[in-house]
Amino acid sequence: MRDPYEVLGVKRSDSDSEIKRAYHELVKKYHPDNYADNPLADLASEKMKEINQAYDDVVKERQASASASNSSQSANANPGYNYSYQPGSGSSHYSYYTNASSGQYPQIRAYINNGQLDAAASMLAGINERSAEWYFLAGEIAYRRGWLDEARQNYQTACSMAPGNMEYRRAMTVVGGGYTPYRQINYGGSNDLDTACNVCNTLLCLNCLCSGGGCR
Amino acid sequence: MFGYVRPHRDELRMREYDRYHAAYCGVCRTLGREYGFFPRFLVNYDMTFLYLLLASVEAAKPNARCRCPAKLGCVKKDCVDDEALLGYVAAVDVILCRHKLLDNIQDSGFFKGLAYRLAALLISGGYRRAKKRLPDFDRITEQRLAALQALEGEQSSSIDRTADAFASILEHCADLYDDPALRRPFGQLLYHVGRFIYLVDALDDLAEDCKTGNYNPLRFRFTPEEGRLRPEDQTYLGELLEGSINLAGAALALLPLKTDSDLLENIIYLGLPAVRKAVEAGSFHQQAKI
Repeated sequence: MRDPYEVLGVKRSDSDSEIKRAYHELVKKYHPDNYADNPLADLASEKMKEINQAYDDVVKERQASASASNSSQSANANPGYNYSYQPGSGSSHYSYYTNASSGQYPQIRAYINNGQLDAAASMLAGINERSAEWYFLAGEIAYRRGWLDEARQNYQTACSMAPGNMEYRRAMTVVGGGYTPYRQINYGGSNDLDTACNVCNTLLCLNCLCSGGGCR
Repeated sequence: MFGYVRPHRDELRMREYDRYHAAYCGVCRTLGREYGFFPRFLVNYDMTFLYLLLASVEAAKPNARCRCPAKLGCVKKDCVDDEALLGYVAAVDVILCRHKLLDNIQDSGFFKGLAYRLAALLISGGYRRAKKRLPDFDRITEQRLAALQALEGEQSSSIDRTADAFASILEHCADLYDDPALRRPFGQLLYHVGRFIYLVDALDDLAEDCKTGNYNPLRFRFTPEEGRLRPEDQTYLGELLEGSINLAGAALALLPLKTDSDLLENIIYLGLPAVRKAVEAGSFHQQAKI
């Protein structure tokens, strides 16, 4: 078990607000949205669990020491701990498919989720009738292989065949660079705490914009 | 090999700059020491990146001082002293370059082919040693490049499949690490860096390939006019390249980096986009050295 302070990349002497900020930065970096459909999503979700656990531990430790010393500051010892992401909720949300799919499609989806892309691809190739879902799944396989051109073309076809399908549209947003993963390269570092919410807002707005013209 | 993977010079801190140069010199020295005089000319930015990347999950190795034959009077410079990993990277470099040269010989006419033949001959001793060191990597490189040639032969219009043949060679370097928690992110990162190299190189060569008639996947995937992509195709390709950079960055974030995290982030998040823009604008070859 690693030291929770080390996991969060902070020092023991840092203030509660500094620790909270470091936690928010990490949440932005490893947010499930950044790893949607990414073959490494499981590693990111593990990382997220570790970060949440570490933050939990640090907050508890500080609360305990604050109440032990019985200081007047105990009232705000909890640094607004209401921002916890449910570990893994994002990735399970994304592997939850809303479509009532029939025939071999559930099996193909299971293969894709397990990373058995070759099995999924050969099964898909055996289906003659090419529905929107067929193209969507072909796109999913291509995306996980890193074949972004093929993924985009297939998603596009799926979207234009079923313009109302949110699942297809979300995939299109991910592959089309609808949002870029969080990057911490600015040396100053911003402390805009609700950027994670903005990402969601942007996504929602994008979906509104898309609704007219079949995704693009 | 191509020099497309490089840090963005304007954003480098001095300590990162020094470290980058020490790694570059380390690759060069190892090539000279282990593979001979001529392979030393194969030192390049891409392999410096490969070294920095693969070394980043360990504590940094100390620098040594070495003489630089490229400088007047062979002045001494700092260079990384990491025999095991530098030897590996140097072997990868020699093997890749040797196969690339053979590929070039087949693709070019008699006189240019002669120059490539000579170069291949000059590094053949080093290649034998490198092949002995990494027989699996040599075999895989040969296989993948043969697959690439087959795709070129049928004039494939799939940029994904052609890029895959090259990217999966680099991806294979991740096998250096057994632990899946390291191997998988390294693999995805190297795959997308390889894909980026292949596609940016194709874009860079497009005008010339249109003139000479050599195979270029972009010629068949899009319809270039007078050696240039149409603006909308250029934008589309740019988005695909950004997608690869993002996936490489997502993989980098999952690596437990102990050294050079800022330098590697510079290369992925700033260096690669800058190279893409420079190639798109046609100004890549006028760029300053790092």
